[in-house]
Amino acid sequence: MTSAVALVFAAATSSAVNAAPKKLKDIRIAAVVKGLDNPFFIGIKEGIEETALKYGIKANVQAAPGLNDDIGQANKLDSLAGQKYDCYIVIPISSNNLSQAVGKITKRGKTVINIDSPIDAASLKAAGGKVTSFAGTDNFAAGKAGGKDMIAKIGTGKTIGLIAGLAGNVTSNARIDGFKAGALEADPTVKFVGPENADWDTTKALEKANAMLLANSNIAAFFAANDQMAQGISKATGIGTKKIYGVDGIADALSLVKSGKVTATISQYPYVMGQMGVQACIIAAQGGKVPASTITPYYIIDSSNIDQALTNKSTRGYFPNQLPPGKYSNPYASKIKK
Amino acid sequence: MSVNRNNETASAEAEAVSKSAKSRIQETFRDPFFWSKWLVVVAFLLIVLVFGLLSPEAFLTTYNLNNILVASAIPAIIVVGQTFTVATAGIDLSVSSIMTFGAVCFGLAFTNGWPLYQCIIFSTLAGFVCGIANGLIIAKREVNDFIVTLGMLSVAAGAALVLSDGKPRQIIDERLANVAINEFTHIPYLMFIAFAIVLVAHFVLFHTRFGTHLLAVGGDPDAARAMGISIVKIKVLVYAISGSLAGFAAVLTVSRIGAAEPAANTSILLNSVAAVVLGGVSLFGGRATIFGPFVATLLLQALSNGLTILGVASYYQYIAVGVVVIISASLVRTSNK
Repeated sequence: MTSAVALVFAAATSSAVNAAPKKLKDIRIAAVVKGLDNPFFIGIKEGIEETALKYGIKANVQAAPGLNDDIGQANKLDSLAGQKYDCYIVIPISSNNLSQAVGKITKRGKTVINIDSPIDAASLKAAGGKVTSFAGTDNFAAGKAGGKDMIAKIGTGKTIGLIAGLAGNVTSNARIDGFKAGALEADPTVKFVGPENADWDTTKALEKANAMLLANSNIAAFFAANDQMAQGISKATGIGTKKIYGVDGIADALSLVKSGKVTATISQYPYVMGQMGVQACIIAAQGGKVPASTITPYYIIDSSNIDQALTNKSTRGYFPNQLPPGKYSNPYASKIKK
Repeated sequence: MSVNRNNETASAEAEAVSKSAKSRIQETFRDPFFWSKWLVVVAFLLIVLVFGLLSPEAFLTTYNLNNILVASAIPAIIVVGQTFTVATAGIDLSVSSIMTFGAVCFGLAFTNGWPLYQCIIFSTLAGFVCGIANGLIIAKREVNDFIVTLGMLSVAAGAALVLSDGKPRQIIDERLANVAINEFTHIPYLMFIAFAIVLVAHFVLFHTRFGTHLLAVGGDPDAARAMGISIVKIKVLVYAISGSLAGFAAVLTVSRIGAAEPAANTSILLNSVAAVVLGGVSLFGGRATIFGPFVATLLLQALSNGLTILGVASYYQYIAVGVVVIISASLVRTSNK
């Protein structure tokens, strides 16, 4: 076997590094996203592929073999690192697992753009890696906007029930904490019940909401850390016309907002993350100055803009809205040379 | 790779000596077990050749071959343990969870300020304990290995989540990271470690009494028992080896990821079973090689690497890997008959 390996090595060559500014049509992008068994990452993949197509450039989008396959994902990025790509878009499975692979890419003089989940700065530094730009969601800010908006709808001095995802989950915590901060800012007298953990699950959220309503009849509204749980709450006995807010903007939630069963969903746009990743790559490859980081948009979809959100709807299903119904800040788009 | 000596009787060996060199070579090529061992090598070279032709400037570079070796190192160690269990007609489905459990134990020890070598021993020991538990229940209670290790898969995964509180623990250590990053004569350190384990395992399986007994237990447990071999002892040791190797591989995982992750990585398990079968190890026990599964590990990683380089969409990669596994396994299987 050793001889077989040696033989393979004898045939080896080395590849060159290219750092000069490139023409738009010559730019090549590789991306490694998380496992495609989650619709959110399919949305990101579409954003990357369709944006690349729009600019007429080549993008190779690869995914981790599974949602937990941290090493498999690092192997994928390693595989792509040896090729002549100008830029790599990455979404790490954990905050550390791609650091060494990114370090290798940095050493080859190529650009890395990080979207959605940030790579840990300390581990990146230890591996000698550099991320040129980060575009991702601010879950705290999204929750906060929801908190302010809800107070505006229900008025002051009310009690709000909170339903969280998995215990200890970073995303869930950020959304709940953000919501509380926003609501408290708008109304310092607001009271909260919970948060109760319903593990992102519709049925569990229904059970929790029932229990919370039994114990606290004065609950005026609910905030759930995702749309599935908001859907569960909408089926609770005695929910009546109480306001319900969810987060994500999945297809089911949009229908429920339309029918009035759910008040609002704070929508996120994975497609936009992919889009911004590609745009950041293009700026870097053209030799431009890439903005260091940006927060991807979130939008509160309620009765006032649901019709517009539904017209925007793509046929793909789970994350139906590729783009927000209104304007959003994109620091990348204007910096691209045609 | 030596011609298999374990399945030849003394009389057959004596007969072979008297034959001419030419007929002996013919004999070797007609021996189905010879092919079940070499098929994987042929398949591996074929895959390297195909990707080399399709993408010469990206696949056959020192840089990329280095990547394949880095990617193969950790699975190769797990595969050695799996080969031992399969050689006794068993299977260890808990390897991936034990690895995660080991990594979490490593993380605990490391954040408590233990010296690095103690962390490594602790992680390996954690795997060893899980393995011993597997082996004792399988051998003493005579419970089906599939069920016991499936149970351990769940127990170890849960224990890892409990101990870590479901949170990854960052481990930044220059020495550890260097093991994962550095190389000597284009061969990564990780591969040197894996290959050393492969060599030791080969020696243990084919040149020690334990190895002979192990294959005897796998081939015909009743005969082995009649010969006075302790089946319990062999089984317990085999699962202890598999567990310890998983615990040790966890250290290398931490060195590559820079963190102890609490979520189990099941693809390691599926890969290990596929590699053992592809490598020509009989699932019915008694027939094994160490180098076959090792080459099969390289093959699987080269396949995944090559498909990624060619830009084959992830969805199709699952199909391609599955098809290669099934085709190769069915070829090995027919030649095993």
